Amino acid sequence: MLAVTPLRSSTNGDRAGDVGGAANQLPASDDFSVDFDFDFSELLAGFDDADLLPGLEIDAIDLPGPETSAVEVEASCGRDSQQEEREEEMALTNHEEVLSCEIKEETSAASESNSSAETPPEKDRGRKSTAGQAKGSNGKRKVDWTAELHRRFVQAVEQLGVEKAVPSRILELMGIDCLTRHNVASHLQKYRSHRKHMMAREAESTSSSQRRQIYATWLPPTMGFPPNAPPPQHLLLHPNMQHFRPLHVWGHPTMNQSLVHMWPKHIVPIGPAPTPSWVAPHPIQPSLLPPHASPWPPHFARGTLTQGTPYFPQSLPTMRFPALPVPGIPPLPTYRPDGTIPTAMAQPPPPPPPPCKQTGWLVQLDAHPSKESIDAALGDVLAQPWLPLPLGLKPPSLESVMAELHKQGIANVPPCN
Amino acid sequence: MSESPASYIRMVQHLIEKCLLHRMNKEECIDALNKHANIKPVITSTVWGELEKENSEFFAAYERERQNQTTETKTTEEVIEESADDED
Repeated sequence: MLAVTPLRSSTNGDRAGDVGGAANQLPASDDFSVDFDFDFSELLAGFDDADLLPGLEIDAIDLPGPETSAVEVEASCGRDSQQEEREEEMALTNHEEVLSCEIKEETSAASESNSSAETPPEKDRGRKSTAGQAKGSNGKRKVDWTAELHRRFVQAVEQLGVEKAVPSRILELMGIDCLTRHNVASHLQKYRSHRKHMMAREAESTSSSQRRQIYATWLPPTMGFPPNAPPPQHLLLHPNMQHFRPLHVWGHPTMNQSLVHMWPKHIVPIGPAPTPSWVAPHPIQPSLLPPHASPWPPHFARGTLTQGTPYFPQSLPTMRFPALPVPGIPPLPTYRPDGTIPTAMAQPPPPPPPPCKQTGWLVQLDAHPSKESIDAALGDVLAQPWLPLPLGLKPPSLESVMAELHKQGIANVPPCN
Repeated sequence: MSESPASYIRMVQHLIEKCLLHRMNKEECIDALNKHANIKPVITSTVWGELEKENSEFFAAYERERQNQTTETKTTEEVIEESADDED
């Protein structure tokens, strides 16, 4: 801003020499610049010059202040996206301010010369192209909200508190370079509106503790959804069919398959399921939904929209403990006397002894989980309580839990002592 | 730490689910939460019970599988011991 003043004097001289018509504007602009302490006059000057000079870049170059920063943004596309975003925002903001002032000023002050009529559009173009170029560089593109990305987003939001979550802080917590504040902000907006919608549904019947599950279910449902899911239907909840679909708005069908396989590994892959592992018709509960609709709606058909995570009963009755490695479960020490570890890899290729192949894995996941792994797992929960629940069991109503605790003599939760 | 009862209960549920991933039964879970997370046994027990009420099919199936697993594990142990004995 300060640098504007000397420029003004130089351009004044130029203008006086070159643009006769524009000189009429000078006194007015000077007055205004004095009054507002603004580089307004520079912009006018710049516009006048821009009239003479072809090309959008020159607009930007000639114009000081915000335009300069826009040029910088444009020039250094490789810069940190956040910084770029801020500068761009600042540039845009200033541009807008300038434009609005300038347009008024143009119409009121000059209005006679063509230059004034033309420069706003040119300026617009300049701004847009600059902004467009700035947007084109890393970070400001459309963000692909993958499941992992969204999970971290939800973590950050839950940590901050949904209402209080600010995009900049969310971004910090997520710590992902490719995201801009703008991306996060728009995602947050959508997320909040989704939550509101879910809460409105939940408020009809369920308790507040279940609502907490709602945003925990945002991510997992996307993992469980068949890849041939219909295009996202925005938050339409049809009572019988569509419970799951709205949650899938946030899903990425292409990601589902890869992510879905993550979940069953935590528990047990479904051995005999004829369909892909995550499509297991729910044997226990006659569902309101056609079996082909989705693996998870049978669960939702129970009337709770809280469970997006793979519903255990679907897999348990058919569990066969196939001999697959289970990355989700920390490898537990085994107690085989001969000291070998019955992993699949440790087995000799030709027929591995049955106990090792089939139940060796079982042994690892046996009734004697090691203390260290338990401690680690529980510690994770304690450290990061906002993580989505691994099984996503239907939570009990808060009232009933508290009532039960009161019966047992516990008044305060968490207990004070 | 100051938590609301709801978030505390949720945390306990989360811990219980972790134990379920390790195929623990109720007693083991209570014990683990007590030892590692300082959750009072009565609280764990209560939350477990409530979870069981809300997810009765799950817990029934879970228990069935645990029984099967225990049986298989016992068989495995026996086989291992036998083979170890044989090797000796």
